[in-house]
Amino acid sequence: MPGLLFAQIREKYPEQKTLPVAQLPEEIRRQDPTLVILPLMQFLGENFIVQLGPRVINLVTKPNMYPGWPAIEQELKWLLERIKASGFVGETERLGARYIDFFGGDVFSGLRLGLQINDKPIQGTQTDITTFLRKDALSIRLQVTNGAIVATKEGPKTGSVLDIDAWFGPLDVDLFGNGLARFAEAHYATKGLFFGLLKPELLSKLNPAYE
Amino acid sequence: MTLTLQTQPPAYVLVEGLRESASVSTVRRAAPDGWAREELLLRKLGPKGWGRVYHFRNYYASGWGENGRVLSPKALDAFFRFVENANFPAGKSSPSVFLTDRGGIELCWEDRNGKSVQVEFSATGAEFYQAATDEEGMVTFNDLARLSQHLAA
Repeated sequence: MPGLLFAQIREKYPEQKTLPVAQLPEEIRRQDPTLVILPLMQFLGENFIVQLGPRVINLVTKPNMYPGWPAIEQELKWLLERIKASGFVGETERLGARYIDFFGGDVFSGLRLGLQINDKPIQGTQTDITTFLRKDALSIRLQVTNGAIVATKEGPKTGSVLDIDAWFGPLDVDLFGNGLARFAEAHYATKGLFFGLLKPELLSKLNPAYE
Repeated sequence: MTLTLQTQPPAYVLVEGLRESASVSTVRRAAPDGWAREELLLRKLGPKGWGRVYHFRNYYASGWGENGRVLSPKALDAFFRFVENANFPAGKSSPSVFLTDRGGIELCWEDRNGKSVQVEFSATGAEFYQAATDEEGMVTFNDLARLSQHLAA
């Protein structure tokens, strides 16, 4: 399977890298629901990374290089054509878009979301919130924490993470049929949720540039 | 009583950089809608049915037996949608669940009069057989709710 895909995308993704999870025995990966869906290798391109596993293909932006949705959509279109040409994809099990955003400090004070005890907001302590939302056929997992540590080139940084994962299930998507349109739906739902959660004060601090 | 919240070690750690793809992969968890589906199976199929589906999903997802094909995600999703809408008769034994050779999942139960009802979910739809009326047929994914009502009537 990696060879079939690589033959189709090598012009833009010439470099390959095996991920650590590939070192685990296949039988163990198969029997663990959290491992079976993970990618085992990467194909590195100039602006994006393509990841491949037995049951997954990801298009990932490079760290701190979000190119904007039009560029992602264009790359997705190209990649879908190449995946189709490689001929190894059968049914679509899940199609989704996931955005993970890091904020320095405690993000909860800037969000329209929080946790309360006895009607009083919890502040100044580690808080992790995970919830599941539905928007028609779209499933959305929202995960927010103010207890994140990210190792960067400048060293580890503490802060918060807002993680939104939106996806369609097997009966609502056909990768080579409505796949691109479904990606766009997932993207816009994610974007709407993200900006809906941010209070104006936090949004203004981020200096957004609107397309 | 005063409730004190202790500072805990970080629960969400991305080791090699926020968007380093290998790290992003490591923070994935099981789908959160999984809980609702587990509850649905326990309520409608009982512990035995729940356990069988759990095994099918986790241990037979890559195929089974000599010719058993990989369990179809569409078939499994259709199965869940059907079970969500289905009303199995009270007082009868819990419905049984099977894997099929062609990568589908089959549900069998007895109607109020003890007659067999079978529905097989595949990647293209659902086939059913109702012994009481000797009726058999196939429906698309869009008609799963209607089929469950029809078989319960």
